[in-house]
Amino acid sequence: MDFDANKTADSARPLLEVRNLHMQFPIKRGLLRRTVGFVSAVNDVSFSIRPGETLSLVGESGCGKTTTGRCIARVYSPSSGQILYQLDERESVDLAQFDNRELRPFRREIRMIFQDPFSSLNPRLPILQIVGEPLRANRVASGSELEDRVATLLRRVGLRPEYIRRYPHAFSGGERQRIGIARALALNPRLIVADEAVSALDVSVQAQILNLLQDLQEEFKLTYLFIAHDLSVVEHISHRVAVMYVGKIVELAQADELFANPLHPYTEALLSAVPKPDPRLRNKGARIRLEGEVADPSDPPSGCYFHPRCPYAQDRCWHEEPPVREIGADHWVACHFADELELRGFEAIGAARDA
Amino acid sequence: MQPTPTRLDSAADAMSGANETLLQVRDVKTHFFTDEGVVKAVDGVNLSLKRGQTLCVVGESGCGKSVTARSILRIVPAPGRIVSGEINFQQRNGAMIDLAQTNPKGRAIRHIRGREISMIFQEPMSSLSPVHTIGSQIMEAILLHLPVTRQEARKRAVSMLELVGIPRAGEQLDAYSFELSGGMRQRAMIAIALACEPQLLIADEPTTALDVTTQANILDLIRDLQQASGMSVLFITHDLGVVAEIADEVVVMYLGRDVESGPVDAIFHDPKHPYTRALLQSIPRYGSRDRDRLYSLKGTVPHPFDRPSGCPFHPRCDEFIQERCNTVDPDRYAAGSAQSVRCLLYSPDADLYAKEDSKP
Repeated sequence: MDFDANKTADSARPLLEVRNLHMQFPIKRGLLRRTVGFVSAVNDVSFSIRPGETLSLVGESGCGKTTTGRCIARVYSPSSGQILYQLDERESVDLAQFDNRELRPFRREIRMIFQDPFSSLNPRLPILQIVGEPLRANRVASGSELEDRVATLLRRVGLRPEYIRRYPHAFSGGERQRIGIARALALNPRLIVADEAVSALDVSVQAQILNLLQDLQEEFKLTYLFIAHDLSVVEHISHRVAVMYVGKIVELAQADELFANPLHPYTEALLSAVPKPDPRLRNKGARIRLEGEVADPSDPPSGCYFHPRCPYAQDRCWHEEPPVREIGADHWVACHFADELELRGFEAIGAARDA
Repeated sequence: MQPTPTRLDSAADAMSGANETLLQVRDVKTHFFTDEGVVKAVDGVNLSLKRGQTLCVVGESGCGKSVTARSILRIVPAPGRIVSGEINFQQRNGAMIDLAQTNPKGRAIRHIRGREISMIFQEPMSSLSPVHTIGSQIMEAILLHLPVTRQEARKRAVSMLELVGIPRAGEQLDAYSFELSGGMRQRAMIAIALACEPQLLIADEPTTALDVTTQANILDLIRDLQQASGMSVLFITHDLGVVAEIADEVVVMYLGRDVESGPVDAIFHDPKHPYTRALLQSIPRYGSRDRDRLYSLKGTVPHPFDRPSGCPFHPRCDEFIQERCNTVDPDRYAAGSAQSVRCLLYSPDADLYAKEDSKP
């Protein structure tokens, strides 16, 4: 399987190309902590991220979206697969093979923003040290220059530079998330992995942070891997969206295309479950409610992982795993019946809003 | 209309359009007396809930929506306490009771908790006991409130689990909460809450920790159970999408106050208060121009010790009127078709100064 961005004519060379990524965690039991099995958190995932775009990974909890993000930021060492990172016009390196020393220069270029602004900032350090740490650790700046750089960063993310000596407890959730963003920006990164960066925030603060992320993307030509479960946020911010289910990507397409014209039954069910912020749409359109639970990644079902919950499942889905294939321009899907099913997208709401 | 003794009758009332008010909260203030000062978590909230209806309380974190719910059940943790206001609730026998006057540890309120008013919480894992089986937790509520034997209670517990859609209910009765998935745990909690057929279910962010697909199932379940039993639901959430899905009436809260209340359609399609409008504009919506900037409310919710003078929303308001909004505390005014709004723009003498100051 291969979501090769180079095949489409208009796309640039990808900044990052993930090929057949696997991440397995051992299950340990008993007194001797013997390994009795493996959980495939990420199972043969391939996609690419183009420079300057926002690619979102969506899916229910436990689908492997966070693990994928952490493999790319090399918080985890992937079990197998390649993470090809573009150095310049011609050269790429495989981050999956590197050890910590070799990874050092790349840690400056790939940064993470975390979900919980309360637990991701050290409560004992002032903002100057939290934001300035990457600068000092990489010997970019020190002393008063460091302070100036941090002040500039704080101003850029919409915080007052006077706050530089305050501790995280003095800030609200939204402000803390801005601090996390300032820290991620400190070393002029190229790729930011934002793991549920706005999920813990209130709507008004969430809007501020989403606007900030978009402004920064334009200003610094950033590329985002945006991991989220809130589909309306994802629709708003993404250029392309990949839907994951039990460690696999089941569908990947341009955001507009995926929301208007989903090809995988799981995507359709996800879209149908999103509460629409308009009471007049209540009870309109077909509701698709998934039965049962997300499959256990340590003991996944046979064939297509989604078949036990799929309303359109047929015999073939039981024993044959669907390959990922391209249907339409840049629209990839892993479903045997993707060309036959007529699935409902999100368009009903757009129509109602125009009316 | 005579209050009705059994659930089935009250369901029939709801269907026949009985507009009986089940719960009326009037100007309730719940303050927390901490060492650093008084936190006015709820500072004058009004809401009223009719039989068989769903009232959504919506607002950002820290606006006092959870404390409001806890005040109704009198489970506000110390050092908080209700300092003034009325919470009138109509009991099953028809008698009105002011819950604000009851002793939080007294017999009266204990008879109401679990029997007349039940509550479900956001985190089913931390609200269910990890050392008791699901079944024993459901049976506890039944045995406490209903005159039944253990055998009957157990039978009823099984039927409750079936009702909330837990598969193999007979077996799951002896399961512990950690053996269930998030969605199933939330169903088990709903089963406990509904075991004694309460008149009012208070749901405090019950779907916030769940995935969208599970959330949709739980919302469907609450709606179905409500239709079958005719109970009223007080639903607390910060998610406006959820509000649009399930509410009949909506109360928008800001800094411990109801800033706007009205029917769900009016709130979404004809919002009056600048805060309600700002909230609605800041949610990303499908069909809007791709990747446009979202409307963003300036500033943040003020620190509880640092409450603004006048209208508490004025420092963040786009329609702020100098010398008015920062000095006058707005009353509740009628606006639009059926809303009540706490904003000077809708006060009877608003047009005196609105001409020069307010923007269209």
